[in-house]
Amino acid sequence: MDTLNILLMAFISIVLVNNLVLTKFLGICPYLGVSGRIDMAFGMGLAVTFVVTLSGTMTWMIDHWILMPMNLEVTRYVCYILVIAGAVQLVEMYMRKFSPSLYESFGIFLPLITTNCAILGLCLFINLWGIDNLPEAAVLSFGAGIGFTMAICIMAGIRENLNMADVPKCLRGAPITLITAGLLTLAFMGFAGMIK
Amino acid sequence: MSKIKLFIEQSWLLITASFFFGLLIAITNTAWSPRIEQNKTTKVDDLMKDLLPKAEKFEQAAELQIELEKGKEVTSNIYKAVAGGQCLGWAFNCEGPGFADKIELIVAVDERFEKFAGYAVLSSNETPGFGDQIKLSYYRHQFAGAPAGKLELAKTGDAEKINSEIVAISGATVSSNAVVNIINTFVVQVKTQMQEKGLIGDDK
Amino acid sequence: MTSDALTTTSLYKRTLLAGLWRENPVFRLLLGMCPTLAVTAAVKPALTMGLSVVFVLVCSNIVVSLMRNLLKPHLRILMFTLTIATFVTIADLFLKTFVPKMSETLGPYVPLIIVNCIIICRAEACASKNNVIISIIDALGMGAGFTLALCILAAIREFISTGAVMEIKVLPAWFVPWAVLSMPAGAFITLGLTLGLVNLISKKRA
Repeated sequence: MDTLNILLMAFISIVLVNNLVLTKFLGICPYLGVSGRIDMAFGMGLAVTFVVTLSGTMTWMIDHWILMPMNLEVTRYVCYILVIAGAVQLVEMYMRKFSPSLYESFGIFLPLITTNCAILGLCLFINLWGIDNLPEAAVLSFGAGIGFTMAICIMAGIRENLNMADVPKCLRGAPITLITAGLLTLAFMGFAGMIK
Repeated sequence: MSKIKLFIEQSWLLITASFFFGLLIAITNTAWSPRIEQNKTTKVDDLMKDLLPKAEKFEQAAELQIELEKGKEVTSNIYKAVAGGQCLGWAFNCEGPGFADKIELIVAVDERFEKFAGYAVLSSNETPGFGDQIKLSYYRHQFAGAPAGKLELAKTGDAEKINSEIVAISGATVSSNAVVNIINTFVVQVKTQMQEKGLIGDDK
Repeated sequence: MTSDALTTTSLYKRTLLAGLWRENPVFRLLLGMCPTLAVTAAVKPALTMGLSVVFVLVCSNIVVSLMRNLLKPHLRILMFTLTIATFVTIADLFLKTFVPKMSETLGPYVPLIIVNCIIICRAEACASKNNVIISIIDALGMGAGFTLALCILAAIREFISTGAVMEIKVLPAWFVPWAVLSMPAGAFITLGLTLGLVNLISKKRA
């Protein structure tokens, strides 16, 4: 029961309280770039969720079972980025072979994901928070992806409506998106303190 | 055979580059890692020095396992503050959940474990302007001299009076409470465990 | 001969200046947004971050430019990330050794330089096509532009959120600090408004 409780708390905390996009500023580039249309945003969100779950879990395993016993922590960043690049490549190959339709719909986002800071960021935060068991790391990774998807979909929804608004010329595009994101962050600040 | 040749042809640059980069990292790491270790201890030492200014040096006395809620366990390092061969007090690190993130503290007590000497924040991520006032002395000074046992948090009261009642920071009750809770969880367990180990005398 | 030398110098100068305004990575190209938002709560961390990026950018541009003729197309990105990750590790170790406090403030945002789009973008767009000297100059220009943008944002945010710049009090004590600007929400809004201002200025100029 306790384990379940901890896992549930971890999930809620990474989705709402410590949302990577809105409180840690990770993955801002796709957040600004792909949030124009809600279907694109959802596709990107799914792709990120998939890769982040895979790479978050894998980096945890590599960190704890290979790097730490061998005292190779100094090469951590290099290993992390290689794992992520490898995971992206793997997902891309797998999808192209086994589900071409899925590949058509979000394959274009995959190369972008390697340089998505949300993924490397999550791996680093898992390390920083000192998560010491595999289930928690896996839940956090999955939750981070869900949190990203949620944030980018909310943003896409707002932006679709924003198209109808009369925004001052110099603020059109990225500036107004950032300001909207700021207001969204204010709303998410209400979740802070939820987790004890 | 030709497959291996192709493989080498394609990736020789990658392999040599990895080798060189690995070498580069290894050299930098060997050159700097002693200082990085040093920096870590200096930071804790400096904080403890602030709390127990009379101490000349700090010796690690014990490593205790402290039980948190929900069955989690954390390690707490106990440091003995020494000056001229005499024990001046103890300091230990503790941690617990804050408003937004984990709060890590260093707590110092006197040599008989009767009074707090104060606490310092090792790391925290509280709301700027509100919760992070736990780092400021007007809240921290309430702990210096308070009896080393369970503390209580009050919303209003006289912050100048030093006793086991701590007056919360207005607008940041959760963070204030977090500090008090962390200290409460740790101080009792540390005290009993230290008595068991014979580091300090029993209450008599 | 002289005209040749002249064009090279002017090319260098143009490359150097491009990063500062015309192709400023933050304000014009919208690259490297994560550190721009995350470390600009105060000027000092912003400056440290900017300088670390300059270091990594220069080093990775040199290496990529040196091996640009040897690169295989499908292993290109992998080589870039490997190079960048190595230099970021070195920069991280350097910060941990000589400015431990700053390294703690920046936290995971130092290793996140690896995925900073500016660096990989410059490796791809400039260093893999040009010789070493141009790559270095380009890296310096871009890095300076990035540092400048970071410092401007940090100065605005630090000034309003604490009434101080570089931790030196500027405003009198009656000033009530707007703490919200040092929080995530303030980061987004400040950057949004600054971008709007930049758009306005560049439109007036054109």
